[in-house]
Amino acid sequence: MLELKDVKLSYGSTQVLNGVNLSVKRGDVVSIIGPSGTGKTTLLKCINYLAKPSSGTIAFDQIRMDYQRADKTAVQAIRLRTAMVFQQFNVFKNMTVLQNVMDPLVVVQRKSTDEAQEIALRELERVGLTPKRDSYPSQLSGGQLQRTGIARALAVRPDVILFDEPTSSLDPELVGEVLKVIKDVTSSGITSLLVTHEMQFAKNISNRIVFMDRGVVAADGSPADIFDAPSSPRLAQFLQSELAFQ
Amino acid sequence: MDVSAMIPELLSALPLTLAITFTALISGFCLALIATTLRVRRVPLISHLVDLYVSYARSVPVVLQLFVAFYGLPLLVILFGAKDFISATMAAMVGLSLYHGGYLSEVMRPAYLAVDRGQHDAADSLGYTFRQKISRVVGPQAVHFALPGYGNSIIYLIHNVALVMYIGAADVMATAHLIMERDYNQFQFETYLVLAVIYSLMCLVAWLIVRFFELRSPMQAPEATTTTPIKNELLASV
Repeated sequence: MLELKDVKLSYGSTQVLNGVNLSVKRGDVVSIIGPSGTGKTTLLKCINYLAKPSSGTIAFDQIRMDYQRADKTAVQAIRLRTAMVFQQFNVFKNMTVLQNVMDPLVVVQRKSTDEAQEIALRELERVGLTPKRDSYPSQLSGGQLQRTGIARALAVRPDVILFDEPTSSLDPELVGEVLKVIKDVTSSGITSLLVTHEMQFAKNISNRIVFMDRGVVAADGSPADIFDAPSSPRLAQFLQSELAFQ
Repeated sequence: MDVSAMIPELLSALPLTLAITFTALISGFCLALIATTLRVRRVPLISHLVDLYVSYARSVPVVLQLFVAFYGLPLLVILFGAKDFISATMAAMVGLSLYHGGYLSEVMRPAYLAVDRGQHDAADSLGYTFRQKISRVVGPQAVHFALPGYGNSIIYLIHNVALVMYIGAADVMATAHLIMERDYNQFQFETYLVLAVIYSLMCLVAWLIVRFFELRSPMQAPEATTTTPIKNELLASV
């Protein structure tokens, strides 16, 4: 369904992605783990072209794009089939919760206001935010903001949903409510890529774990492969430090 | 001549003052919008020329900009083969539009840049086109950030309209000077006081309009309280 080949990206003289290869099958729930600064978020942003790789290719079903000759049509086609949940929530600050979820449906997908509202209300109910539908982002807690972001992402009916450290900016007491919603989303069968530092959560919800280190995919396997039999000392060391911390 | 007779005479010059102000407000706004777009998008060469224009508008005293417009515009018109038709009022309108446009551009640009990068990313990731992103997400937020600065720039513009008398435009300030000279400078204090009231009222109206829009901004919604109440036990232990 989704295949990235030899993706390279640098910020100035810092090489962030050093030839990443990754393929995702429909229905996969892939957790991307690894030390900070190793390119996990950047990789996720390469998929919807928020980060612009210097080379490599992406194939998304029939859509194929060489990053060196990226064209608007292919980028837009990919963006219309993906949705992203951001670490910093990035809920539109000038809109209410309901408007946040409705707006992409009306503006981008050209749905009628009534239809968009119906879908938005359904998604808000799914994430437990119906009572907050008329609140502005400045009136919400971190957990509520992230759930708004998830509802917005779900409402556009994406083929793939990209979670970029969705709980990293939350107070510990708010993490649970967001993880519960993510678990519900991933168990519904939607293809998901999740960048996370929540190791136990990743182990529980994913059918694949990708370990990134120094800008490449250093290990790729089932949760049992990765967590119970780490293939490299580097992975073992990373897991030990992360699990000890949690 | 008493003050009550002077007021209608001063007010007779108000329409021209307002015409100069509104022309500069509208054309300055359009200029600022174009200048900001070109500066933010960094179009090669053109963006540098616009930077130069903004620097001119912000660093050259307004009265000097009016003289440049007053003496420069006729030369420009003649250069293009037309007859010189530039009046003092037209020069004032052009000079102040250029000043206001450059100044306002430096209100709009930071306001645009103040919108969190994540808002752009979210809109892009959902497939918004550039125009949709600006009109639905970034624009309204930038307006919120720009409004206080925009209010100030309107007030500065109203103040600077008073300078057009130096190039011979007959605004309220010029009219006040004519009245004072005609009356052998007997009522200088009273005349200036009436002028001060007129300018204050103009600024007050401008401020109220901007404030109205500020309060209507959706981003003005009261924030959720995140402060944890301090427990009495904690206070007792202090």
